[in-house]
Amino acid sequence: MSEYLRRYIVDKKHHQFRKDHPELEHLAERFAGEELSPKERMTRRFELAASLEEPVLLPEEQICFMRTVKKLPDCFTQDEWDEIKKHHFIHELGYMSNLSPNYERVIAGGLLAEREKADEYGVRIIDAILDLTERYRRKAMEEGREDIAQVLARVPAYGATNFREALQSFRIIHYSLWLEGDYHVTTGRFDKYMYPYLKADMDRGLYTRESALELLEDFFLSFNKDSDLYPGVQQGDNGQSMVLGGIDENGRPVFNLLSELCLEASRHLMLIDPKINLRVDKNTPLRIYELGSELTKAGLGFPQYSNDDVVIKGLEKLGYEHKDACDYVVAACWEFIIPKVGADVANIAALSFPKVVDVCLHRDLESCDTFEAFMDCIREEIGRECDEICGGIQDLWFVPSPLMNIMIDGGVYDGAKYNNFGIHGTGIATAADSLAVISKYVYDEKRFDAKTLIEAVDSDFAEHGELLPLLRNEAPKMGNNEDLPDSLGVDLLGSFAASLKGRKNCRGGIYRAGTGTAMYYLWHADQIGASPDGRRAGEPFGTNFSASLFARINGPLSVVRSFTKPDFTDSINGGPLTMEFAASMFRDPDSVSKVAALVKAFIDMGGHQMQLNAVNSELLRDAQIHPEEHRQLVVRIWGWSAYFVELDRAYQDHVLARQQYVV
Amino acid sequence: MPEKGIIFDIKELTVHDGPGPRITVFVKGCPLRCRWCHNPEGLTAKPQLLWKENLCVHCGRCFVPCGHEECRPYGRCLHACERGALSIAGEEMTAAQLAKRLRGYEDMLKMMGGGITFSGGEPLMQPEFVYECAELLGGFHLAIQTSGYASPEVYRRIISRMDYVLQDIKLADPEAHRAWTGVDNAPILENIRWLKESGRQFVFRVPLIPGITDTPENLTAIAGIAGEHRVELMPYNTMAGAKYAMVGMKYTLGSEPNRAMDYTRFFENAVML
Repeated sequence: MSEYLRRYIVDKKHHQFRKDHPELEHLAERFAGEELSPKERMTRRFELAASLEEPVLLPEEQICFMRTVKKLPDCFTQDEWDEIKKHHFIHELGYMSNLSPNYERVIAGGLLAEREKADEYGVRIIDAILDLTERYRRKAMEEGREDIAQVLARVPAYGATNFREALQSFRIIHYSLWLEGDYHVTTGRFDKYMYPYLKADMDRGLYTRESALELLEDFFLSFNKDSDLYPGVQQGDNGQSMVLGGIDENGRPVFNLLSELCLEASRHLMLIDPKINLRVDKNTPLRIYELGSELTKAGLGFPQYSNDDVVIKGLEKLGYEHKDACDYVVAACWEFIIPKVGADVANIAALSFPKVVDVCLHRDLESCDTFEAFMDCIREEIGRECDEICGGIQDLWFVPSPLMNIMIDGGVYDGAKYNNFGIHGTGIATAADSLAVISKYVYDEKRFDAKTLIEAVDSDFAEHGELLPLLRNEAPKMGNNEDLPDSLGVDLLGSFAASLKGRKNCRGGIYRAGTGTAMYYLWHADQIGASPDGRRAGEPFGTNFSASLFARINGPLSVVRSFTKPDFTDSINGGPLTMEFAASMFRDPDSVSKVAALVKAFIDMGGHQMQLNAVNSELLRDAQIHPEEHRQLVVRIWGWSAYFVELDRAYQDHVLARQQYVV
Repeated sequence: MPEKGIIFDIKELTVHDGPGPRITVFVKGCPLRCRWCHNPEGLTAKPQLLWKENLCVHCGRCFVPCGHEECRPYGRCLHACERGALSIAGEEMTAAQLAKRLRGYEDMLKMMGGGITFSGGEPLMQPEFVYECAELLGGFHLAIQTSGYASPEVYRRIISRMDYVLQDIKLADPEAHRAWTGVDNAPILENIRWLKESGRQFVFRVPLIPGITDTPENLTAIAGIAGEHRVELMPYNTMAGAKYAMVGMKYTLGSEPNRAMDYTRFFENAVML
């Protein structure tokens, strides 16, 4: 890689080329005045933005295309959105997101071939892309960068004939999807569809391992050029996930030289994009886990592992065809989706387990004679919550994206082959621990009664404060391999999955239960006060499928044991067990290998998804005080990595509050 | 009645305590008083109150008389602190109880190619307990980390039950050994002589304490004892003093790290950990 180019991008020097354009102001108002259709708006906005783009070739780069148009205006006015929302359920920003486009087809066949089959809007967007490409090509000629010009003469108009063309073609299409207004655009099984190009080139002697890595790193840099312009809850939440390894539809392992190079490139670049995921299964050799752990050691929060044995089976149970299930990737964070043919909305809503407990605590506890009777109330309440969540998602509408429509087989305007909705399940440990307290102390030991517990919770432990040390520090917690809380966790997740089973969504698809939290670990925590597990009001939940933040945990083996107890094939929307290890844990190669063995054990024991972080808390604390000295410090948030200093304080504090395992 | 042992920690996924990922059992009580010891709560063989000053807000609730039997020896209520500033180091249990707890991880440890390591403190201080644990933990890969300060009978009896030995050598010079660890190294050296001939798998462990054990003289002398056997050099833990305040003790060494040099050069077969 060109270190110069890396520094150039890290130092944001390329931002100097960005401009605001008056032409883009009040776009929605003008569109509204002309009463344009949504497709026409999307197309016009794209044509306009593409025409305003100015070709810029950064020094030493081999893979070009970056945004100079700073801000993409909305296609609809606020009044129009208000009107749309009266008739439709709008997911997040309303534009298409969290899809995994068919890069493979378009890179191989070229945009001109797509143009033949596209609708009128698709044709216009393709023309705009090709026009911008031509302007880039001319710029390259002017600057004497003939290698770039030569590549652009071929792609993306025609199919790529070599690795570099394939990478450049990907870059232009990926860039264009974001420029269209789609977001959380993922890269899919990159090593699977890109490797044939690399292999052919290497067979012809065009690349060595080193020169291929250099080009790949240049390409990886391109993910970081415009990402700050992409929408997300926080900087870094941009969904540029990349999935490596796994099996193909015949059960053969995909992991290849390109997979290995991707892990290496990510480790060298030390940037937050692309976000690396590694698919593994019980036959994956330890060596691949070791390569993964080498990357974990770098501290980027990559890779995230997912277990093919569990995920594929779970997706098939939900009705996905075998070959599609085998091809699964992750959406922006960890939601399992199908590339090329799927239009699942994998993060459409979230169920708060602690809220369910809170409702039943106040409504039912005093009238339940047995804990089992109370658990029946909990299960019923989960069903009711699911009724409410699912009932609220009617007439889903997305702004139609002509280019994305081309990129998903069969089109995506009104859904695609798969149109399932994923629901996160948040705060599972907080809920299971709370139920464990109720079971153990209220019913079994009768240490205090329901009324006392409710008063304590309602007053945030101002009353009955003497219970707090017991509840926080001595009560059983999920994550310590104790039957009571762990089995309650299994029960909660199972009830959630069972409640969603058989429901049809408004697009003819089904619902999927998951173990992720996303930002709900803060949002849902604020919806309730304190909880019976001794969590005080305002304290967040754990990230995704993890122990409660303040729980005293025996160690990583207990955590793995506790968090592999559920049968995840019934709740396979995604959401990893997250563990933080002190960076010192990775000091020597032998230790890295031992961490790799832990991940392998997790997978072999039937865990579904895992994500490890190497954390240096002292550095993080210093970064809160001296942000300017730690601009490049990276942390994992809930399904994506970010530069620590760019995060809001609440997210920074959450990272610091997670339990760390040290040597 | 089987004899009870006393342990002060069970640590999961230890990565420097033998082959593969391990669970390390820290047995409480040690005959040595190494000035660099970073587990001061492992020194005495009795349960001990740990007070984490950084968590304490001096609310005084732990001083309110509580009547709990288990709190009586400490004059403080162990169940009063919501912040978890008070705890006890030292849990008494039978070998059967410990073995049962560890059995729960047998399949995982096997999957990972790891095992159980007895550390401390000094595990040879409770030989019957450790011996009985070893008997009950058949099927596990067992390791011991020891100063080697025990009678030859005890040493041989326990070591013979272990698959792997992490044998410390701290100081070769008897005088220096007495000065810095409080005990004579003659029994240790005798046990090491036996270990080398025993056919057991083992590794020597040398803590590099700046100006005390990391001197060329000491390392050269230790190299003479170690010969061609593998030696693992452990850099000085600059946080070694962190836990002293918790047990009301004072750490007397500094927090300067080792000099930047290649300590392995004194040895035939050494690595830095």
